[in-house]
Amino acid sequence: MTAPARPTAPARPTAPALLTAQGLSHTYPDSSTPALRGVDLRIDVGESVAIMGASGSGKSTLLHALAGIIAPSAGSIVLNTPAGPIRMEELNENQRASVRRRDLGFVFQQGLLLHELSALENVAVALMLGGTPRPEAELAAAQWLARLGLAGLEQRRLGELSGGQAQRVAIARAQVTGARLIFADEPTGALDSTTSAEVLDLLLDSVEPSDARSGGRSLVVVTHDRAVAERCARLVTLSDGRIVSDEVGRGADRTADAAAGAQTAGERA
Amino acid sequence: MSAVGTALRLAPLFRQSPLRRGPADTAGSAAGRDGAAAALPVVSFAVVTTLALLVVAGARVFFSWDDELGLTYRMLAKIALALLLVPLGSVGASAARTAARRRDDRLASLRLLGATSGTLTVLTVLEAAAMAVVGALAGSVLYLALAPVVGLLHFRGAALGAQMWMPWWWIPLIAAAVVLLGAVSALAGLRAVAVTPLGVRTRQRPARTHWARIAAAVGLAAGAVVVLQILPAFAELGGVLVMIAVLGAAFGAGLLALDLIGPWVLRVAAGIKHRRARDVTRLIAARTILDDPKAAWRQVGGLAVTSFVGVFAAGGLAFSRLAASDDLDSAEQYLLQDIATGVLVTLAGSFVMVACSIGLNQAAATLDRAEVLVSMDRLGMPRRTMTDAARTAVMSALWVVSGGSALCAVLLLAPLLGIALFVQPLAIVTVAAVFAAGFLLVRGALLLASRLVPGILARPERVL
Ligand SMILES: Nc1ncnc2c1ncn2[C@@H]1O[C@H](COP(=O)(O)OP(=O)(O)O)[C@@H](O)[C@H]1O
Ligand SMILES: [Mg+2]
Repeated sequence: MTAPARPTAPARPTAPALLTAQGLSHTYPDSSTPALRGVDLRIDVGESVAIMGASGSGKSTLLHALAGIIAPSAGSIVLNTPAGPIRMEELNENQRASVRRRDLGFVFQQGLLLHELSALENVAVALMLGGTPRPEAELAAAQWLARLGLAGLEQRRLGELSGGQAQRVAIARAQVTGARLIFADEPTGALDSTTSAEVLDLLLDSVEPSDARSGGRSLVVVTHDRAVAERCARLVTLSDGRIVSDEVGRGADRTADAAAGAQTAGERA
Repeated sequence: MSAVGTALRLAPLFRQSPLRRGPADTAGSAAGRDGAAAALPVVSFAVVTTLALLVVAGARVFFSWDDELGLTYRMLAKIALALLLVPLGSVGASAARTAARRRDDRLASLRLLGATSGTLTVLTVLEAAAMAVVGALAGSVLYLALAPVVGLLHFRGAALGAQMWMPWWWIPLIAAAVVLLGAVSALAGLRAVAVTPLGVRTRQRPARTHWARIAAAVGLAAGAVVVLQILPAFAELGGVLVMIAVLGAAFGAGLLALDLIGPWVLRVAAGIKHRRARDVTRLIAARTILDDPKAAWRQVGGLAVTSFVGVFAAGGLAFSRLAASDDLDSAEQYLLQDIATGVLVTLAGSFVMVACSIGLNQAAATLDRAEVLVSMDRLGMPRRTMTDAARTAVMSALWVVSGGSALCAVLLLAPLLGIALFVQPLAIVTVAAVFAAGFLLVRGALLLASRLVPGILARPERVL
């Protein structure tokens, strides 16, 4: 965590790199074919990146490697955090777990919510694991739930929430710790199209440019839904464990428009 | 019954060991998880068989005496058998449940392929029976090894010795009974497990505690206390046998009352703990109990029996010590000594079985929580926090179970035997030893079950 900064890919002038992965390869222990074959990827602050590809192309594996859920067989990953750059491949299981709970947020298809806890507790636990006392954690959690339209449902258990509501709880939990990078794996995979669009709106709303007070937040979302992918600023396509295309998505216009709008407004003032 | 036919044709699939499956099979089981979950039921069935053989052999000796005190010995043997039968059945059921749980991935995919639930039931029962057969064989061998040791026990002033050998054909008969027990309890255990195309879950029953249950429990307990108060009257009416029978009935009523009220007490206690929880460990532990108080009770419920038997034993031991000083004839002297021996043997037997049952329940509970464990791991929850939460939940249930049952037993027995008996050093030592043993047992089971966690986390794709 206190490792000196090492040279990474040259930063674009607009946004500093949040995560840089180089030469990622991974072969599962009981498999003979690699799931990832030499992936290079750079994620900037304030970016929304969609990862697409056929089933089995390695999307989840890439996400898990980037998030430190698995240790890839080869390659390097540098995550820039407020406390300095972290080289993920140098960390052991426990250290990676602590990076996950401190610096990253997760919204997976299954939500990863604990069914015995209430909605409020599911969000508060993320803060409590970092040492925040329970009353403060629950207060912050309640604010996030309210912001995501779940006011009044704080005491509900998972079984008493709809799929869309459960994903909102997961989104609240991913943001409550101030994580600067959120990973979503098929977050709308189990939802109908209307709910899916709402959840995606909330996820994209979590993205903040680097000049925001929070220091910016980025989103990496794995999806097989083209409609979802096209709303992101960037679209990375995987095939057989390799990146076959990396294009600007339509969501980029939105971000650019917003930035341009902000600029004109600023000029007018 | 076409379900049986289909099941028999599918059965060879199930016998395939994970090691022999091809590397392409990504649904293959993590060796640790599968191995432990498979070994536990087999070991438990072996222990059940050994204990059943030893108990029957011992009881046979008791039943062969037909002198003046023979009837009393038979009665005592029957009480001991009844006390041992409850944990015996619960081990069988736990073993079967774990066996069913272990098959989760293959059962679920068969369901997905359209196998009827009848086919799945038959498959599971067949498998539990197969495990019971292996266990029963091992248990029979273990009996042959242990019979001479148990033969060293003295009853009526002489070692049991060669009397511990039964006619040889009793052994396969009893082993077959154990296999039958395994199959029947697998059937019962399956009713508590839901096999859906998406996986096998221990079926969630809504955690409701009816006031009627509590009323029934209070009624039972009160009835037992009243009956015990007037026990001497029973003795005058029908002699010592009626008295023992009434005592046994009161004991059963006490256990039943405890079982009715236990989950409710557990839930109330967990509610208080939940409000006070300041860290993640205690929060999750309290919520785990609140989620399903009955399941939490079942985890350690077997200890209610041992605590109860333990207090009984303490009273019995102290009583036989105190009574022994009076001028009794030698047969009566032996009877008192034999009560003490019998009480200790029954206690030891019920402990061994409860150990198996708790180990199995703990393993099944850990496998059931696999999905939660993987979720917590992905979120970066330290593994320590996960296992601590599970331990805290079980240990807080443990205190309520063993404390509650001991209290219940003292309340029942004190009016009868006098509280003075329970402040005898011998009684206190016995109760303390029973508690310490129960505590160690549960900790051991928890330790064993926590060994399953790394295997589960290594193969998250199997549960998500
Ligand atoms: N735990 C695992 N063990 C072995 N092979 C796996 C495991 N998880 C995924 N794979 C394999 O790795 C490849 C990529 O999988 P994955 O990353 O899940 O793809 P996607 O998310 O794009 O569908 C697939 O061929 C899959 O079968
Ligand atoms: Mg995937």
